[in-house]
Amino acid sequence: MKAKVARLAVVVLPVIGLGGLWAWSDHLSRQGTEWDVAVRGYDPRDLLRGHYVEFTYDWPEPEREEELDGPTRLIEAPRLLCLHGDPPELELAERIEEDSLADCAHPARANPAGVYGYGSLRRGRFYVGQDRAREIDDAMRDRDQRGIVRIRQRDDGTITPVSIRFRPLTAAEIEERDRQSEETVDP
Amino acid sequence: MNARKINAWHDAGLIDEETRTRLIAYEDEHARPLALWAIFGIGALAIALGLISVVAANWDEIPGQIRLSVHFLMILGTLAALFLHGERLARANPWGIEALLFVAAALGLTFFGHLGQVYQTSAPLWEPLALWLLLFGPVLLLVGRSWLAAALVVGGSIYCAWEYNYALGELIRRPSGETPPYLWLAFVTALPVFFAPVGAWLRGRSDRSAFWRRLEQLGLTYAVLGASLSCALASVGAYEDGGEALSASSQFIRAIGGIAAGILVVVTRPGLSGRMSGSIIVGAGVIIGSAIGVNDSDVFAGGLFMILWAGIAGAALYAGWRGVFQVAVATIALRLIVLSFELASDLLLSGFGLIVSGFLILGVAWLAVRVSRRFAPPPEEEAST
Repeated sequence: MKAKVARLAVVVLPVIGLGGLWAWSDHLSRQGTEWDVAVRGYDPRDLLRGHYVEFTYDWPEPEREEELDGPTRLIEAPRLLCLHGDPPELELAERIEEDSLADCAHPARANPAGVYGYGSLRRGRFYVGQDRAREIDDAMRDRDQRGIVRIRQRDDGTITPVSIRFRPLTAAEIEERDRQSEETVDP
Repeated sequence: MNARKINAWHDAGLIDEETRTRLIAYEDEHARPLALWAIFGIGALAIALGLISVVAANWDEIPGQIRLSVHFLMILGTLAALFLHGERLARANPWGIEALLFVAAALGLTFFGHLGQVYQTSAPLWEPLALWLLLFGPVLLLVGRSWLAAALVVGGSIYCAWEYNYALGELIRRPSGETPPYLWLAFVTALPVFFAPVGAWLRGRSDRSAFWRRLEQLGLTYAVLGASLSCALASVGAYEDGGEALSASSQFIRAIGGIAAGILVVVTRPGLSGRMSGSIIVGAGVIIGSAIGVNDSDVFAGGLFMILWAGIAGAALYAGWRGVFQVAVATIALRLIVLSFELASDLLLSGFGLIVSGFLILGVAWLAVRVSRRFAPPPEEEAST
C-alpha cells in the first residue's frame, strides 16, 4: 500500500509541476505593457538560422554627442532603459541608472542570463517556423520597409517579443535614410 | 533452427526418432516469425516517420497551445502507463519499463524547451535542468532499473551543477565585476559524487540492486574523472591563473566532498568491494586536494595522475575487478607515453628521436599488456563492482 502511494506520488509530481509551469508561463505572458519598437536586421550577411530571426532594436534614444561619430556597434549596449510614451506607441527610450529605477514607470532591463547576455537590449530574437522566418528575413533586407517588433514589457523589466510586422517607410524616414547613406559614402 | 538440421542429426544417428519429433514440435511452437516482424517494423517505422514529418512541416501552423497540449498528454500517457502497468511490465519485460521511463523523462525535458518556444521565454540552462531533476528525479530513482535511468539522474545532475557554476561564476564575474560565491559553487560541483554513498547504501536494501550499483559506479566515475582532470590542469599549469574557481580553497572543498563521500561508501557498504570502492573515492578526493601543489610541474603532475590510477589498479586487484584493473593499467601506460613527450618533445623533431620514442611506446604497451594479462584478477561474475 505504502509503495503504491509512493509510486502514485512520483508520477503525479511531474504532471503537477509541468502543468503548473505551463500555467505560470501562460499567466506571465499576459502580464505587462505592449510596446512597438522599430528594429533592423541583425546583419545582412548573417544567414537565417532555422527557426528564429535575429534583429537589432532601434530604440528612440535621445542623441548623445559623444556617440555621434563611430559606428553604432561600438556604442555600449544599454543595460537599463526607461520607456516613455503612450503604449504601444514608444516615443522615447532613455538610459537610466539603477538608483533612478523607482521613478520609471516602464523599465526594460538587459537579461544577463539570456542568449545575448548584457547585449539583450540591443539584439533580440523571435522564434517562428522556418518558412515564416525566411519571409521575415527577406522583409528585413528590404530598405523601403521598417520592421516593428511588438514587445511585452513587465514591471520587473523583462521584455519578450510577441510579434513582428513591417510597414513602408514614411517620406521623412526615406529622406533620413538617404542622408545617412550619403554620409557613409562620403570619405 | 530448421527441421532440415534436426532431420540431419536424426539421420546421423545423433538423436532418436522421439527426440526429433519433440524438437520439431518445440521449434514450431517457439518459432519467431522474424521476416513478418521485420515487415511490421518497417510499416510502423514508416508511419511514425510520416507522422513526424507531417507535424514538423506544419509546426508553425499548429497553434502553440495545441502543440503543448499534445506534448503534455504524451507525458501524462507515459507516466500513467508507468503507474498502471509498471509492476506487471517489470516482471515480464524490465527493459520495457526502462524505455518507458526514459521516454517520459525525455518528453519532460523537451517540454521546457517547447514552453520557451511558445511563450518566447529564455532562462539560464541550469534552471530548467534543476526543475526537471526535481520533478523527474523521484520517479527515476523509484522506478529505474538499469544504467539508463541511473545515467539520466547522475548525468543530469552533473550537467546541472556545472551549468549553475558557469551561470553564477562566469556570467556574474565577467560583466559586473562582482565576486561570485566561489566556495558555494565548488560545493555544488562536488555534490554529484554523493550519488556513490546513496547507491552503496541502497544496493543491499532494495530489490533493484542493479540500479543502485550503477548509481554508485557513476558517482565513483565522477570522482575519478574529477581527480584525473585536476591532475591534467596541474600539468598545464592552470592553477596559476585559473582565478577563484580553481583557487586552493575551492579545490579543498571539492577534495573534502570526495573524501567524505568515500568514507560514507565504506561505512554504508561493508565488505571488501565496498571498502575498495570507498577507498578509490577517498583517494580521488586526496588527489584533487593535492593537485594544486604540483601546479606546472610535468613530472609531479604526471606522477600524481599515475598514483591515482595505480591506486585504482591496486584496489581493483584486491577486490577482483578484472575490467577496472585492465583499464587502470592502460591509462597509466598512456600517461607514461604522454609524459615522455612532455619531457622530451624535441625527440619528435629528429628521425632518431622518433625511432627512440617509437620503441618507448612499444615497450610501455608491451609491458602494460603483460601486466594486465599476468596479474589481472580472473573474470568476475556480475554484481561485484
